[in-house]
Order: sequence, then structure tokens, then C-alpha cells
Amino acid sequence: MPRLMLKFEGAVIKEVPLGNRPVTVGRAPDNDIPIDNLAVSNYHAKIYDEANRLVVEDLSSLNGTFVNGLRVDRAMLNDGDSIEIGKHNIVVDQEHDAAVPLDSRRKVSAPKVDETMVLDTKVRRQMFEQAAALGEHSQLSPGRMRVPTLVVLGGRTDRKEYQLIDKLTVIGKSSMASVKLRGWFAPSVAAQIHKHDDGYYLGLGDRVPRVNGQTIFGPTKLNDGDLIAVGRVRLSFRYRV
Amino acid sequence: MHIESGARSDVGQIRKNNEDNFRAEPSFELFVLSDGMGGQASGEIASEIAVETVVDHCRAAVENGAPEFYGEPAAGLSDRTNRLASAVRLANKMIFEAAKDDPTRKGMGATIVTCWIEDRRLSLAHVGDSRAYLLRSGSFEQLTADHSLVADLVRSGVLTEQQAEVSEHQSILTRALGTQPSVQVDADEQMLVAGDVVLLCSDGLTRMVTNPEIAATLETNPNAQKAADRLIELANENGGEDNVTAIVVRVMAEPKGLLARVRRMWRGTP
Repeated sequence: MPRLMLKFEGAVIKEVPLGNRPVTVGRAPDNDIPIDNLAVSNYHAKIYDEANRLVVEDLSSLNGTFVNGLRVDRAMLNDGDSIEIGKHNIVVDQEHDAAVPLDSRRKVSAPKVDETMVLDTKVRRQMFEQAAALGEHSQLSPGRMRVPTLVVLGGRTDRKEYQLIDKLTVIGKSSMASVKLRGWFAPSVAAQIHKHDDGYYLGLGDRVPRVNGQTIFGPTKLNDGDLIAVGRVRLSFRYRV
Repeated sequence: MHIESGARSDVGQIRKNNEDNFRAEPSFELFVLSDGMGGQASGEIASEIAVETVVDHCRAAVENGAPEFYGEPAAGLSDRTNRLASAVRLANKMIFEAAKDDPTRKGMGATIVTCWIEDRRLSLAHVGDSRAYLLRSGSFEQLTADHSLVADLVRSGVLTEQQAEVSEHQSILTRALGTQPSVQVDADEQMLVAGDVVLLCSDGLTRMVTNPEIAATLETNPNAQKAADRLIELANENGGEDNVTAIVVRVMAEPKGLLARVRRMWRGTP
């Protein structure tokens, strides 16, 4: 009986035997092969037997299904083919002997290494960039653009509204500040906002800011509509559509 | 605001040679740490090329205006941070070329983590699993995301952090300097606050000493050199299985008062 091997960065993380039933792949936990990654759609693809040929079918996923590097809607599979979904790939092993009992199926893994080594990530990187490029496209469609913005509600600043475009936004009197505070006693760096992969984080400066009335103790993720108070300045953080 | 720094590197308890290298340039507020890999002493060569190249490139950028820029400057980052990333890309190229022509150096590579301070802004760049941490008001935060297989598996939810710490795949990097003709560099920046402590370290520290132990050591040793020395001791006390290097940078408030103010005006700093 053929099997599918889910791999991440070259290491096998899951093996699934192929029976008569289609095997589904996606982010939702009820898939046969669940992949918990934002690049993967809830029900991303399915793999099934059709007249003794193995077929993979993309279920209109956002970032696509690839076979050996080519994006496909539906494709016949051969032994050794690699189905790439996000950063993961699924390798088809048709020669696999079904007689192997369940408990002796051991995880195929890289040998233990004492010395540091580097994976050849070229193929994976190309795949990822391809997927990322598609992702960027979809973000450009109107309605999905959300511009992080600071709206000044009170205090002396040089403008009334700021769009956060840089990785680091400084609030203060410093020459490096993009949200410029005025006034004799304004601190050089009152607070700072830092862009991470998953959103924007407010961090301490010379002052300890408050978010929605709560003093923060370390980098704090900002949500749409949060109120920031630092010194005499009050700001609202918004994702502008 | 001024800084005080300390650094130390040690071979550890098990290995015969130290493949870590570092350069601390406090007057220039530039700090570089690299952990080399490869057989026949080539790891040491790779990490040495890495730290030398970064220091030379950054120095040249400040002293001679703008030497050649490597790679594309990223929008949203300051010139200073982009320059630091350029230095790391050049280090990659230098190691790759040094390895290419010499069969004994085949497969040599290195990690790098480096920080450069301008005014109050900390620029950071890294490749591999050497790390930067920030201790600020009692919170100890890792500023870099490892380029390693286990870190990717944790990010994708396959492994928990606890599983990652005991995984046999810990030594597998997904990015390093010198193994490909070009490399993707992670760069970042943030503003420093008086009292901050920045730590750069190789995996020989973080695999032997827990984060709370590291944070406590930084908090209880106000002298940066003593803090670095103590971290190395702790790694060795806990087994010292790998080379270990730590660079500690403390951000100090400027003294207040009229005399200090006059002195600062004299020096021309705000």
C-alpha cells in the first residue's frame, strides 16, 4: 500500500497510509494531514486514487499546491513526487510495503549530528518566495489593505495622524523620532513601536506607556482601537482600511 | 547616554579548539560575534573572517563615506541598520570565496550576530543560531529568531519549546554564512533606554544556561565584564559542551547635574 510522508525542512513529521478514502490536507484539525501554518488553507488539497493512479487536487487554496515545484490544480502523481504546500512537502512513496506493522513504523529522521550543519535550502527558499509572492498579490487587492495608523487624541505633537511604515517608530523629541513631541519637558524617546511578523508592539522608552489604561511591562501587541497614553500624549492605534 | 561593555570567549570543557570569534569595539559601539563550523580548523577561519569583515566594512562606511553596498537596502530600516546588513552579506561572500578555492575548507561556514549603536538606536543583524537578548525593566527578551531546523519546527507548531531543547536536530541550521554565494540577513532596530542590557551570545551559552539564570546573572552583575565572565563560568559549570562566547553591553544614563551638562556641551553631545 502506498503511503504519504509529510516533511518539514527535510525531516519526516508524519506518515499516512493511502487507502480507498481520499486523504485531505489543510490547516483545519479534522484533515487527515493537518498542517498548522498560516500559509496553508483550511482545506487545502486532497490526494486520492483514481483508476489506480494517484491524483492530487488543489481545493482552491490561497497559496496553491505545487508538484515538484510547479503549481497545479490537479495532477497525476508518481512514486517519489513531492507535493509542496507552504513550507511543508508531502512525498509519495508507492513502493512502500504495507506488511510493515504499525508499531514498527519508525520516524525516518536525519542522523544525529554533533557538528553543526546547514540544510540546502535553495529549493525550499524558491518555493517559499513563490508562495510569498502570491500572498503579496492577494494582499494588494483593495479591501485587504490595512494601514497601521496612530491618531493623536491629545498632547503636543507635530501632526495629527501618523502612518506606521517603518520597522521602528519612535515617539519622542529625538531627531530619530517620527512621532515628534513638542514641549520643554518632552522625553527624547517616550516610547517606541516595533513591527513584528504578526503585528505591531508597543515598547518602553524613557517613559512607561499605558495601553487602555494598563501600564505595560514589556513589548505589548497593539490591537485595532487600542488607546496609548504616554506622558501627556494620547494616541489611538488603528488599522485604517 | 553612554555604554559599558565586556566580552569573553572560552573553548569550554569538551572541545579542543575554539571556533567562536568576537570583536568588541566599544569606542565605535560595534559588537560582533561569530560561531564557526567546518573540519580541520576551518571553523575558526570562517568565524574570524566574519568578525573582521563586519568591523572593517562598518568602519570604512563611517570613515570614508560610502563604500560598496552589498545587497538591497530594506525600506523601513535606517541607513545604519542597512549598512550592518550589508557588512554581513559581505562576510558571507568572503567566507564563501575563501572556502571555494581550498578543498580543506570545503563546507566551512559560520553564524553571526552583531549590533551597532548610533545615538540611542540599536541596529541588529544576524544569520544562524547565535542570539541577541535584551534585558529591560526585568523582562528578558530574545531579539533574534534562530535560523535552525528546530526553531522552524517550533514556529510551525510541530515541536514545543521544551521538545526543541532536547531535540537531536539542534545543530542543523537553515541559514549560515559562507555556504551559499548569497545569504538572507535578518536585520532589525530599536531605541535603547537607560538601564538596558544587550547580550550577544553563541549557542554554547544558551544550551548550557537557562534564560532565567542568564537574566539573573546580568541583573546581579552591574559590571559588564564581570557579567560576561560569570556567564562563561556558568556554562562551564553546567558542562561546557561547546565553545561559549558572551558580549554584554550595558546602557548607562548620563550623569545629571550642572557640571555633567557643561562637560557634555563641551564634548558636543546632547
